[in-house]
Amino acid sequence: MKKIEILKLESLSRAPMLVEGYLFEGSDPEAPSVAVVGAMEGATTLPLYSASKLVDFLRNKLGTGKILGDILVIPSVNHYALNINERFWPLDKTDINMMFPGYGLGETTQRIAHKLFEAIQGYDYGIVLETRSDLATCLPYVKLYKTGYEDIESARRLGLRIIHHREPESIETVSLQYNWQLWGSKACSVICPHQPLIDPESARVILDSLINFLNNSGIIRYETFNGYDSTVVTRERIEVVQSPHSGIFIPTKKPGMTVSKDETIGKIVHALEGEVVHRFLAPCDGMITCTYMHSLIFENAVAYRIAKIH
Amino acid sequence: MTPDITEIFSSELPVGETLRIQRARFAPEKPDADAKRISIVSGIHGDELEGQLVIYLLAAWLRDHPEALRGTVDLYPAVNSLGVDTIIRGFPLYEIDLNRAFPGARNDFLPAQLVHALAEDVEGSDIAIDIHSSNIFLREIPQIRINKEFSEATLPLAKQLNCDFIWIHDAVTVLEATFSHTMNSRGTKTLVVEMGVGMRLTKAYGRQLLRGILNLMQQEGIIETPTEFKVRESFSSEVGDVFYINAPAAGLFVPALDHCEVIETGQWIGDIVDPLSGTVRESLYAPNGGVLFTLREYPVVYEGSLLARIFGVHDEKN
Ligand SMILES: [Zn+2]
Repeated sequence: MKKIEILKLESLSRAPMLVEGYLFEGSDPEAPSVAVVGAMEGATTLPLYSASKLVDFLRNKLGTGKILGDILVIPSVNHYALNINERFWPLDKTDINMMFPGYGLGETTQRIAHKLFEAIQGYDYGIVLETRSDLATCLPYVKLYKTGYEDIESARRLGLRIIHHREPESIETVSLQYNWQLWGSKACSVICPHQPLIDPESARVILDSLINFLNNSGIIRYETFNGYDSTVVTRERIEVVQSPHSGIFIPTKKPGMTVSKDETIGKIVHALEGEVVHRFLAPCDGMITCTYMHSLIFENAVAYRIAKIH
Repeated sequence: MTPDITEIFSSELPVGETLRIQRARFAPEKPDADAKRISIVSGIHGDELEGQLVIYLLAAWLRDHPEALRGTVDLYPAVNSLGVDTIIRGFPLYEIDLNRAFPGARNDFLPAQLVHALAEDVEGSDIAIDIHSSNIFLREIPQIRINKEFSEATLPLAKQLNCDFIWIHDAVTVLEATFSHTMNSRGTKTLVVEMGVGMRLTKAYGRQLLRGILNLMQQEGIIETPTEFKVRESFSSEVGDVFYINAPAAGLFVPALDHCEVIETGQWIGDIVDPLSGTVRESLYAPNGGVLFTLREYPVVYEGSLLARIFGVHDEKN
């Protein structure tokens, strides 16, 4: 393994930010290569944790001679945000994942994106570890944009339960996954739950999915347990459950749980008077893919998304 | 005359409060059948307040001149009302830039519902003006930003607005998520004004734009008054180039010039200094002569931070 410098950025008052990648060179020149990008934002740590555990696995757990193709892992590109629990770039609050393909003469986060994007060119596969952009936590799943270049088969090798295969929104055309696909890598995103503390179960699922991917793609040789035969879900299959009232939101079902139509999945409690003002019932048979992630909820906010069972 | 005030969006907040987005409508009792409607929007970004002053001045003018009104004037001073009240640029809690969330949808997350409600309400206006104040980092002279895709329809209107500069942008896909792109594609001629700086009011700019809006409304028959609103002729990016000056290093930016100056090639723009060591890290010089129409207001910079923009006429030699 060798550490490579991806970028170094000076600051007026903070110590310089040094972003590094961990490069594991494969022994088989015919084997495919992959780059994994961890935390581009702060305020959530699963992308960081999962990427760093992957480094640990490749370096300390896998054993010698088992890496066939090149693997580059970049656990964090935004230390400055992570260290102070900010979500976006701390000075101007811009989202690095909205700056691709980047611009070397542009604004700070465009420059960061540019250097990152240069470092991850030429890999056969790309995996972005990210979180949902809305206020929702979810089960770990794959987000795959329909660009005309996407590759469902390789996304299946992660073995996660769901692949959300959808058109990108207009602002997502400046995301890493989208541009990475356009520049010729088979890229997808693993969406990590948004949790203030690491949930060991989700973390395990995400790390296993990365190891599955490496093994199933012939990048490493490692005997492991199989993941899921992923279900490909399109937008039409997602049922949105909005909250008819505001108040204190108490979900009783978590992302990843299957539910039956009319089953109670949560409630809203009046914030000042304590009575239950609404009970959420599942509108269909299906699996909860994400829930609102704060305990105070606005009227009409999206409380749940459920993937319907056909 | 007093306006009709309507809630165009409301949502119960968790703890004993309701989020409201309000519109004030000034309209004559019996408007002509062909009378036009104009919508003035501001506060899509919660840290930008210059538009609120303009809307105040306009509302006060309309109160004083009820006899002049022929069409409908809709005012939306604080679209991101929670943000305006909290000095937060995006939609609080969600950290969403509302001007990247259009056109929105009723069954999407809350910021998307809000922008959806605004777009629905403004829809049908003949003209819309969306007033921004740059952000807290940059100070801008009064300028109109228009998208090339719609410039044929919007450029003549932009020229009425008494601004100093009209910047025609090439289409960028992310702009599709803005208010102006959404409204222009729905047939409302929409202009974006950028002026001043975030979290502040620049009174002279407010009066300048008021005059421009009154002039535009007069030209469009929305008001009828013997007063003549003389407006300046803006220069436009069609006849020149915009030069960006980004910080080559981190530090404290100390400008050497005043905003809105006419400058020459090679002129000293300012220094990036290091207070700890007492050294100048970089000195910045103008790559081209022209008008310094954007100047950094917030001094802390990283490599890449925008320091200034210069608009310069094409060099004859090239
Ligand atoms: Zn703005």
